[in-house]
Amino acid sequence: MNDERNDRLDRLETTLGHLLRTGVMSAAACLALGLIVSMAAGSTPLATTILKVGLVILMVTPLMRVVVSLVAYARMRDWFFVGTTLLVFAMLVVAWMLKP
Amino acid sequence: MSLLSIAAVAAAGATAGWLGSLLGIGGGVFLVPLLNAGLGFDFRVAAATGLMTVIATSSAVSANTAGRNLINLRLGMVLEVASALGGLIAGYTVERLTKHTLSLLFAVVTAAIAALMVSRLDKRNVLAADVDPGALGGRFYDADSGRDVTYRVKRLPLGMLASLLAGAVSGTLGIGGGILKVPILNAWCGVPMRAAAATSALMIGVTAAASAPQYYARGDINPPIAAAAVLGVMLGSHLGLWFSGRTRVKWLKVLMAIVLAAVSALYFRRAFLE
Repeated sequence: MNDERNDRLDRLETTLGHLLRTGVMSAAACLALGLIVSMAAGSTPLATTILKVGLVILMVTPLMRVVVSLVAYARMRDWFFVGTTLLVFAMLVVAWMLKP
Repeated sequence: MSLLSIAAVAAAGATAGWLGSLLGIGGGVFLVPLLNAGLGFDFRVAAATGLMTVIATSSAVSANTAGRNLINLRLGMVLEVASALGGLIAGYTVERLTKHTLSLLFAVVTAAIAALMVSRLDKRNVLAADVDPGALGGRFYDADSGRDVTYRVKRLPLGMLASLLAGAVSGTLGIGGGILKVPILNAWCGVPMRAAAATSALMIGVTAAASAPQYYARGDINPPIAAAAVLGVMLGSHLGLWFSGRTRVKWLKVLMAIVLAAVSALYFRRAFLE
């Protein structure tokens, strides 16, 4: 039981690693492309959009990590961690919803 | 945005990222004063930019650490409840703080980080005997000692409190705040140094993601500046990791503690004389 749980956590760690790498690398690619476009053509709407897409991907990557963890804990029927992860998820959603 | 200022921000990011990964404390504490005092950006713009680089560093570092059992996912998630709450509150309330308060806070925090860096120069892993890891503990293979290390988490409420404070500091000042909680997790909560650092590196991403959207919504994030800083920090921290295996960092820590003490003095001066 304990070993099986540890195996699942090991796999989750690897999955989250891939997710974080994909997120940060695609964000970096957008930011680099956006910078190149804005240097070549000035601060055009296109350049700004590409940069903003990169920044949003960057900010949403940790949120995705929380969502994937939530699914994994639900599959493990580890309800304490489902609850904990839901709390963290709720705070990240509130951060986007709150009007400053 | 001029080419020159983009290049200057990228260079500041690369310097901060390089120092941060060499010292193992994240680059935010160097980037924010470089942008604010060095390049003249408003403190909130500097902090917002710092937060974006914190998220990038967190994702990149954790992607590299994942798969070695060093990241304690369950402990991290429990502590993130506190650190994300701290970040969320800070992101929402930071615009109500005056420049004086922000300068004073930054001065106090940089002084604390400088002191922590010097006091932990010879810190080694705490290697516990074989114990039952319990619900939140963990086990990983320690390459230094060549054996499995098992640990059990103690004094969880203290770890939660440290995470809440680190989250609030992170969201207010735009730094990761890892150096504020890693010593507490290590010294008082029984988490070995490498596991504490890896878990903290994962946590700072979610923590910063709880305050960054507020900065974004207020327009404190300048896209080309943030892009240049993020790319600079990613490049710089990569170089730092590459060097860290072959340089002795002790003298560098002392030197950078002196630099941080000077930064702290500068912000104390700003808080009281300007």
